[in-house]
Amino acid sequence: MARDLALLIPEIAVLLTAVGALIAEMLRRPRIALVVSVIGLLAATGLTLRLIGADTTVFGGSFRIDELSVWAKLILLPATVLSMLLARVDVRGTAREGTVYSLLCFATLGALVLAGAGDTMFLVLGTLLTGLATFALVAYPDTDPATEAAMKFFVFASVTGAIMIFGLSYWFGAAGSTLLADLPGMDTMPMAVIIGFVAVVIGLGYKASLVPFHFWAPDAYEGGPLSIAAYLSVVPKIGALFALAQVVRGLPPESGWTAVIAGLAVLTMTYGYLAALVQDNVIRLLAYSSIAQSGYFLLGIVAVGSSKLALTSVILFAAAYAAMNLGAFAVTAATGRVLDAFRGLGRAKPVTAIAMVVFLLSLVGIPPLAGFVGKFLLFAAGIDAQFTWLAVVAIANSVLSLAVYLRIVVPMYQQAATEFAPLGRSLGTVVVTTFAATLIIGLAAQFFLAGLVEWPA
Amino acid sequence: MLPLVSLTLFLPLVGAVLILCLPKPATRTVHVIAIITAALTLIGALSMWFQGASGAGFSQVEELQWIPAIGAAYRVGVDGISLPLVLLSAVLFLVAVIYASSLRERPRAYIALVLLLETASIGTFTALDGILFYVFFEVSLVSMYFMIAGWGHEDRQRAALMFFIYTLLGSLPLLLAILGLYLGSPEPTFDMRAWIENPPLDGAAAMWALVAMLITFAVKIPAVPLHTWLPAAHVQAPTVGSVILAGIMLKFGTYGLIRFALQMTPDAFREAGFVVLTLGVVSALYGAFAALAQSDLKRLVAYTSVNHMGYVIVGVAVAALTLDPSVRTVALDGAVLQMFSHGLVTGALFLLVGMIQDRAHTREMGEFGGLLKTVPMLGWSFVLAAFASLGLPGLAHFPAEFQIFLATLGSAPVAVVVILGIAIIAGTFLKALRETFLGEPRQRWQAMPDLSVREWLAVAPLLVLTVATGVAPSWVLDIIHRTTSALVL
Repeated sequence: MARDLALLIPEIAVLLTAVGALIAEMLRRPRIALVVSVIGLLAATGLTLRLIGADTTVFGGSFRIDELSVWAKLILLPATVLSMLLARVDVRGTAREGTVYSLLCFATLGALVLAGAGDTMFLVLGTLLTGLATFALVAYPDTDPATEAAMKFFVFASVTGAIMIFGLSYWFGAAGSTLLADLPGMDTMPMAVIIGFVAVVIGLGYKASLVPFHFWAPDAYEGGPLSIAAYLSVVPKIGALFALAQVVRGLPPESGWTAVIAGLAVLTMTYGYLAALVQDNVIRLLAYSSIAQSGYFLLGIVAVGSSKLALTSVILFAAAYAAMNLGAFAVTAATGRVLDAFRGLGRAKPVTAIAMVVFLLSLVGIPPLAGFVGKFLLFAAGIDAQFTWLAVVAIANSVLSLAVYLRIVVPMYQQAATEFAPLGRSLGTVVVTTFAATLIIGLAAQFFLAGLVEWPA
Repeated sequence: MLPLVSLTLFLPLVGAVLILCLPKPATRTVHVIAIITAALTLIGALSMWFQGASGAGFSQVEELQWIPAIGAAYRVGVDGISLPLVLLSAVLFLVAVIYASSLRERPRAYIALVLLLETASIGTFTALDGILFYVFFEVSLVSMYFMIAGWGHEDRQRAALMFFIYTLLGSLPLLLAILGLYLGSPEPTFDMRAWIENPPLDGAAAMWALVAMLITFAVKIPAVPLHTWLPAAHVQAPTVGSVILAGIMLKFGTYGLIRFALQMTPDAFREAGFVVLTLGVVSALYGAFAALAQSDLKRLVAYTSVNHMGYVIVGVAVAALTLDPSVRTVALDGAVLQMFSHGLVTGALFLLVGMIQDRAHTREMGEFGGLLKTVPMLGWSFVLAAFASLGLPGLAHFPAEFQIFLATLGSAPVAVVVILGIAIIAGTFLKALRETFLGEPRQRWQAMPDLSVREWLAVAPLLVLTVATGVAPSWVLDIIHRTTSALVL
């Protein structure tokens, strides 16, 4: 018991941080709530460092302390801190500012629970925890669009959640256990496996905004505060995708789950970029882009079990994606929500513009940026798992994505006499941090891979 | 021992960062830093040149762990095929920044892009790691996109976008091929030396990898029918952009054709040799005929590039097809020398066309006439470069093309029809010279100034090297020959 709790210290720290932020808010001290949250999450990140390389489970195998859950903490906790700095710009001085920081901590805790899930019940718990906190966050501004967006989000989540629980009952019936580790025992009942899997994919797929469960995403991103859109596009999404990776690790390969994931990957990437191509609102464009990027994750997930690179590539791409996507949202927060707002940015604010170009090119996957290393490993994992065709589709989509992101880059370098507000301290910090991360993850991928893979050099 | 290759490789990048970091530098400072950086890089390239390359394998190799987990490392080095191209890059970038030193419109960003491009170019030629090669290959694309989009002519946005999407679409198949080579290796590694030593793929897999590489390199070279981005990009690109695009970036394609396609999938290349040969012949002839039909000087020079690079493809295809090592050596000698010569000659031609455009704000041949009398220095320089381009003996292209044709005659006599291209290119240039430089000078161009010191400094080194390579090609050929004669396929 003590050992189990010791291994869970980072999660416990996040929980305490959330409670602490809530208490500070009750005392009407939002600034302290922010400070508590930032310090608490950074401390939790620090506490995770000693777990690198661990591969064990706690509480009877129901929660896993493995590379996925450890790296989820190392990626998502700093990403949450950056989202808080973004959120500060949006909610500063509003009535219940501190609750935002507290809810962000709770939602992140949900994502961490998902990423380490070793039991189907943890999947349910994680989606609910993240879901409840994020509905409130989307609805926070108390405007009509925000309320409508939160409503859509809520209805969608309830339905998909219900379907997932229904599907999980098949797994429980077939395997006689809720542990993911017992899933291989179901290989005599292929139908139960695949019905349950489809239901789980629906439940996690909505959170990861996979097509066709993505409909809520563009509306929620656009309706809620921009910082919450940035947060939703990174933390819950990565949590859900890591959970999916945890689930498929135990599935018998002959059940056909790879075909389901591969099909979803093609749909998600292609639809996401095609839809992004026609958006004039940058938030919606980034929303569809983040949908498409989920499809790339699936390239690594499809290879789980058949390629040693699979988990490595998913984790590395998650780190890259968190950095570049948060960065792109931060620049958008400083610039404006429509494409025209970017006109002339390159001349008026060359440094911010260079950062934005780096984020967007990294999202395309241009070397030597972080997105390239991540996608490169994902392609390698896919090809290694005999999914060459999927890698080809992904590569074709990368070209399409270039057209999408250049729609932001091109106006930045056109002549215009637009006035741009200065970045401000919080936004500046976010842009600088994510910019540095995008470059460093690209150039020093080894640091992130250390202890992740064992490969004959 | 100094890490010469890495120093040469990253010097321009350091210069670029320095320029970007200076708070509000004067235009003059920017240009001075650029010229000093490019000159130092040339010194680095020259020291690499004098270090030379041993026969087999790579020399001056520098290695540093990068992502050991997947067998990727920072590995650079040179052999007789890449060394001339490194020298060519250093020379062309130096003359490019000299030429650009008159630029007043946002010089800081422009020069930083040029220097970034120099690092990317030298990196592409020296990389010995699959990922590293790809990284440099793509970085060059990004900087060229911004150069065209930011400083090009009227229709630059469209041309830049077309260039970017076309070449990105083109280069992604290479990524697949690299992944294939990586996963096919007995011990997964991105070390290009291991891939060359022991080609990891065979049979259908090798053929697919070759097809992927051919798509990538055919776009880059560019070979007909994947050449359509070239005239658009050239016409819209600023002069320096054109010089670098034609002088260096086209060589990425032919260099890759030798380094990757020929060396890493030799058997598949041999099987597909006739297809590639046909591609080369068609490109060379199509480029020549298309050039003949142009009235815009810049488009004309752009199409002659398609023609000249077509000869390189022919040379490489012949090297793959032939079973006689001595013929293969001649063919590869010719192909590599052709790349070197083409860089010098086309670089000079694009600079001279740029100078004409700076003065006249038009490139239509029909609007000129008698320029040889108005601007004799510029005119005679153009005549010299044009004669070099059409393959006159004693100038740079002649020894290269001669060797390619010699090898072709020996192993695939049918393909010698490609020699027609020379006649057509000769006609093209003679027509251009007649319309632009001969005849009666027109009143409108009376006041046109002749070459300034800056322009002289930019174009003279290229012309001197063109003559030197034509008269005594052995100074380049020796180093090329050492590697090509030791090449085992």
